[in-house]
Formats: sequence, C-alpha cells, structure tokens
Amino acid sequence: MAETNTQNAAQYNYDIVRKFTIMAIVWAVLGMGVGVWIASELAWPFLNFDLPGLTFGRFRPVHTTLVIFGFGGSALFATSYYVVQRTCQVRLYSDAMAKFTFWGWQIAVGLAAITYMMGYTQGREYAEMTWPIDLLIAVTWVAYFWIYVQTIRRRSQPHIYVANWFYIAFILATALLHIFNNWAAPVNLFSLTSYSFHAGVQDAMTQWWYGHNAVGFFLTAAFLGMMYYFVPKQAGRPVYSYRLSIIHFWALGFMYMWVGTHHLHWTAIPDWTSTLAATFSIMLLMPSWGGMINGIMTLSGAWDKLRTDPIMLFMITALSFYGMSTFEGPLMSLKSVNALSHYTDWTIGHVHSGALGWVALISFGSIYHLLPRLYDTKLYSLRLVYVHFWLATIGIVLYISAMWVAGIGQGLLLRAFDDYGNLAYTFVETVSFLHKPYVVRAIGGMFFVSGVIVMAYNIFMTIRQSKREQAEIEAKLAAKMA
Amino acid sequence: MFKHETVETNAGWLIILTLLAIGVGGLVEIVPLYMIDETVEKVEGVRPYTPLEQRGRDIYIREGCYTCHSQMIRPFRDEMMRYGHYSLAAESQYDHPFQWGSKRTGPDLARLGGKYSNEWHVQHLVAPRSVVPESIMPNYPWLLEDKLDISDISDRMKALKLVGVPYSETKAEFDANVEKFGKDVAEMLDINKATENLIAQAQSGNYDGNKSDITEMDALVAYLQVLGTMVDYSKYDEEYFVNFR
Amino acid sequence: MSDFFLWFTRPDNSKLFVLILFFVVYTLIILYVFTNKKRSKRLESYKNIPFEDGDETTPKSKDKEHE
Repeated sequence: MAETNTQNAAQYNYDIVRKFTIMAIVWAVLGMGVGVWIASELAWPFLNFDLPGLTFGRFRPVHTTLVIFGFGGSALFATSYYVVQRTCQVRLYSDAMAKFTFWGWQIAVGLAAITYMMGYTQGREYAEMTWPIDLLIAVTWVAYFWIYVQTIRRRSQPHIYVANWFYIAFILATALLHIFNNWAAPVNLFSLTSYSFHAGVQDAMTQWWYGHNAVGFFLTAAFLGMMYYFVPKQAGRPVYSYRLSIIHFWALGFMYMWVGTHHLHWTAIPDWTSTLAATFSIMLLMPSWGGMINGIMTLSGAWDKLRTDPIMLFMITALSFYGMSTFEGPLMSLKSVNALSHYTDWTIGHVHSGALGWVALISFGSIYHLLPRLYDTKLYSLRLVYVHFWLATIGIVLYISAMWVAGIGQGLLLRAFDDYGNLAYTFVETVSFLHKPYVVRAIGGMFFVSGVIVMAYNIFMTIRQSKREQAEIEAKLAAKMA
Repeated sequence: MFKHETVETNAGWLIILTLLAIGVGGLVEIVPLYMIDETVEKVEGVRPYTPLEQRGRDIYIREGCYTCHSQMIRPFRDEMMRYGHYSLAAESQYDHPFQWGSKRTGPDLARLGGKYSNEWHVQHLVAPRSVVPESIMPNYPWLLEDKLDISDISDRMKALKLVGVPYSETKAEFDANVEKFGKDVAEMLDINKATENLIAQAQSGNYDGNKSDITEMDALVAYLQVLGTMVDYSKYDEEYFVNFR
Repeated sequence: MSDFFLWFTRPDNSKLFVLILFFVVYTLIILYVFTNKKRSKRLESYKNIPFEDGDETTPKSKDKEHE
C-alpha cells in the first residue's frame, strides 16, 4: 500500500487534486446551505431579518456563485487535473502554476460572495462578479488552460482520451463566454461598479448566450468529461461506444452555442432568433441522449453493480437525471410551452433537476471514487454513502415536484380569465398559492444539504483514517530501521 | 485521407476544431447583435436616465431586484391586461446592463411608473406587508436612512457615455442632444451639470417625503416612477410595432 | 447568381442554412464513424485508455464484495 502511494505521489500531482476536492465540499455545504436559506426566505419572509446582506436579492447570487463556481468549479478543477494526469500518464505541468489556479479560483469565489452581500454586483445573472474579480478569473483561467494543454503535450500515451476533449471544450468555451459577456466600462479605477458594454436587446442576447452556455459547457460538457472517465473506471469496464462519444462530442459542442436565445422567447428580440434557438434546442436532445445512453450502457452486462456499489448508484442516477432534464429543456424551449413556463418556478425546478440531479450527483460519485485513491485508503463508510444517496434523491424529488406544482400552477393562474374576460387572479393571489410549494421546496433542499453534510463527515473521517494508517506504517518502518 | 485519430493525437488540431465547432453558433448569435440595431423600433420619447434616475437604477441593481422582478412584458392578453403595452426593444436601448429579468417572484415592473404614488412606494419598500399583506418581499428600511452617494455621479455618467449613452460633455454633444431630445431633456443629460441636476430633481420631486436629505429612497423611487412611461402609445398604430418583431 | 448570395444575407434564412449545413456535416461524421468495420474496430480500441494507467484492477473502494 505504501509502495503504490509513494509511486503515485512521485508520478502524479495529487496534492492539487486533494485541495480542490476538499474545497468543492466546503463550497457545496456553504452554497447549498445558502440555497436552503433563500428558499426559506421565500416561504417565510421574516428570515430576511432586514439585514441588507441577507436579503433575497443580494443572497441569491451568493447561492448561485458558491454552488456553480465554488462547488462545481472546484470539482471540475479537481477531476480534470486528476483525469488529465491519469489518462496522459504524466505528471501535471508546473506545480506552482497549479497552486496559482487553486488560490486564484478560491479567492475569486470567496470575494464574489462577500462583495455581493456588500451590494457590489454587475446585475447579470451568473456573472454578477465585479470587474476586478472578473480580471482575476480571466488570469486564473489562462493559467488553467496553459497547464492543461502543456500536460497533454507531455503525455506518454499517444492518444488524448475523450474525457479530455470535453474538458478542453469546457475551458475554451468558458474563456470565450467570460470575456465577451463581462465587457464593461468601470466607473473609475477605484470603483467596483461598471456598466456593461452592450445595452438592452444586444445585452440580453450576450447575457443569455453566456447564461445558457455556462450551463452547456461549464455544467454539462465538463461534467460529461467527468462521466467519460469516472463511470468506466468505477464500473471496471470501458465506455459503451467510443464512436458514439465522437459524435456526442462534436454535436454537443456545435449545437449548444445556438440555443441561448430560448431564454428570451416572446421578448423584444426579433422572432427569427428565438425560432432558431428553439430549433437547435430540440435537436440538442439527440447528442444529450446519445451521451446519456453511452454512460448508462457502460454498465450493460454488469447491472448487478447497482445493488452492491452505492457509488455506481450515484453515477447512474445522475445520468438518469441528465436524461430527464435534457428532455425537459427542449420541451420548455418550445415557444408555446415557454409562454407558460417562463418567469415561473418551473424554470427553477428544471435548473435544479440538472444541477442537483446531474451535476451534483455525478460529482459526488466521482469524489467518492477519487477519495480512496487520493488518500490511499478505503472509504470510511460505505453505509454513509447509501445514506447520502437516499437523502439526496429524496431531496431532489421533493424539490422538483414542488417546483412543477408552483410553476405550472402559477402559470395557469396568471393566464386565467373569468366569464367576463377579466383576469381571474391578481398577481399577489398567485403568490399566496406559492407558499405551500415553497415550503416543500425548502424541505427538499434541507434533505439535500443533510446528504452533503453526511458526505463531508465521511470524507473527514476517511482522511483522518488515512493519516492514522500512514502514521502506523511510518512507525513500523522506524521500528524496523532501529 | 482524414482520420479522427489526427484530432485525437494532436492537441493543436483538437483545440482548433473545437473552437470552430463552438465558434459557429456564437458568431451567428453575435452577428445579429449588430443587425438588431436596425430592428429597434423608431419611437419618440425614449431618453437616457437623468442622474437621479440612474442612481436609482444603480440601487435597483445593487439590491438584486432583478432576481425577483422582470422588466419585460410579453405580447399576451393576460400580461397586457395586467401590466400594460408589451415592451419594445427601444425602451431598454439605454439600459446598461439590461434588467429584463428571468423570474417573476414579484410582478413585472416594466410599466410601474405612475401607477402608484411616491408615498405608496416609500411605504411599500420600507415594509411591503403593511400595504400588501400576502407579499413575500424583504423590507428595505435602510433606503430611507442612507444618504445617496452622489460624489461619483459624473464619473458614472462618463462611463455610461463611454459605452454609448448620449450624455453630453462638450457644446457640440449638448447641441446634438437638444436636436434629438429637446432642450429640457438635453439639460438633464449634461454631465457638467450632473450634481446640480440631481439635487434639483430630488428636491422638486421629493420622492421620499423628506425635503432635507437626498436618500437612496429618493433615487430608487425616481427610477421606479419613470419605468415604462417614456413612450406615448396613443401616438402609434399597433401595426407599426409588429413590423419590428 | 447574385440573388443566390443575397439569400444568405437574410437572417430569417439562417435557420434553414445552418440546419442543412449541420445535417450534411453530421451525416458525414456518422458515416465516417460507423461504416468501415476496420475503422470501427480501431476507434473502439481507444476506449481502454483509462485502464492503461497501472491503477489497481480492483478498486479499493468496493471493499466488501472483493475481500
């Protein structure tokens, strides 16, 4: 055991992977905790406590940033650094630069959360960070790209494995999106406020081009990279079809970029742009489901693993949610459906079936897979992994069903007319209707967060156990020497 | 003969082809951004915000109002009965950034201006449930207490000018604004007079019901009261707008 | 002939244009990837890359059933 460890430690840079993995869990607990808090604010508004930093408007970006960039981002850094080393069979390029990406990213996420609570924001969804933080992210990202490419160039394996293609597409696309969407003029050098370069319609197009592709490349392509490595590894068998993965990659990369405008159906943008987006959204179903099938079928012939391996359970459930939300997405991008669903909680539910069901579950599965290898020990408890799995699944189901009721219900109430052709409900009557679903949603969120806390405990104990084992081995060695 | 292996074994090819694949969609979505300039309706009345309204808008953004309120009325019967005429592209042409929003936890605000009195807004912002019992909006008592920071107003207007809002600094720019918006509006858009304009509007408008101080409430209410009021729809034939959709 | 080029400049036509472009390119990719038996076999062989890294064959995390 000690032998493989020292060998791997010399061959690969595991230290950086460990750092990012731990931070992913820290941000998950914080970000999802904030999520439960703001969900509860909607059910019980007194929770805003009249404190500016805690009001929904300022706290909601804290939730999205900590979860997407803190948890999701750190999980992606960790897994991509691990996967690129293992599949290229070479040590990560430059330890110092890797460390720089770690601190750059963590500081950016932390500063973002603090500044939002102080009221500094760009007012662009999922890109609320003020301009100095945007610059820090840009520099960090360039370093990330450089490390990744240099590591691939030094590979001892002739082929670049498919997981790395997805990670590269994610790094490139995120760079493009970040640069173009955050183009802005600062008020002055000492002000955190800036005004975006575009206005009105153009700004809306740019922002949702960014917004949707943040989903497409940050939250989908990159996590598919994770899937293409960790699902086969955990299953102990290669991916179902390599040829399908080639088609999957090119089709997904090409098509995602077109669909952003479906967030702007029926608004003041020209109609043809939104029909174009809707068309591509429907077609996107094909590569999405191709990828899902590729992942799930990897297990074909070994389905019994689902009964014995909770980590596999996480991964396959993640893929199922991926399939579900990539079916729901195209449905909601139809202009007729969107007329009802847009502006309602249906959208929120859809995002979370993707974010909790797909992104979070596949990350949890991958982290559970990683942990014993990073710390050269066994997982502290497999039973706790099961507990986590069920808490998470119940949480997601409660969350998304509550949001279906809330979203579809409110959508129907808002467009209801009485016998005389007047509006049947005032807006605030629909708000009262939302109370019960909001309570259920908050409870669903609490389930999910409890699961993450169980995971954090399991990880903490695993690391402690690894340290103890290490100490024992060293003591034995020392005894032998003496 | 092309082989997929070429891409799989060469990082350079992989990067170039990936950029190409993801670039096409981006380009076709960005090129229209420039064409859209022609698809913004030509309507009278839409003007940049006054210094006070712009500061109100800054506060609107700071408090994250867009996380619960949209500013984009869609052309549906129920929305037009509830909120008013559907939003035009022209109406947000000076909005940096746009605040169309994506979620209505509260109602749309695109045509909020003039619907309620200043007193109602102050009361509602300080304690929403005192006027709408079922509301789930947070209280914003500090808006009434905190003095508005007007020290950097001209820097803000200059930054906005840099990104394309026609605020004026020189005589020539001022004259162009007179031509475009009329003398009264042009005066308000003059960066050199930003501070005095702001103070004058806050005092004459007295949005927060307190004459002695200029609070953040003054600015925010001034902004909320101008939302959606710039275009006079009685002047236009409905068919005219349809051409731009 | 110039009419033909003008067709491309109208944004309304972009949908049809990219649909055709997309369809042709991806049909070619699918044909390339799935038709030739030898090529298929070669491509599929790359899926074993993750298993060539000298990692332990039985992952330690699945302790219970293997021990």
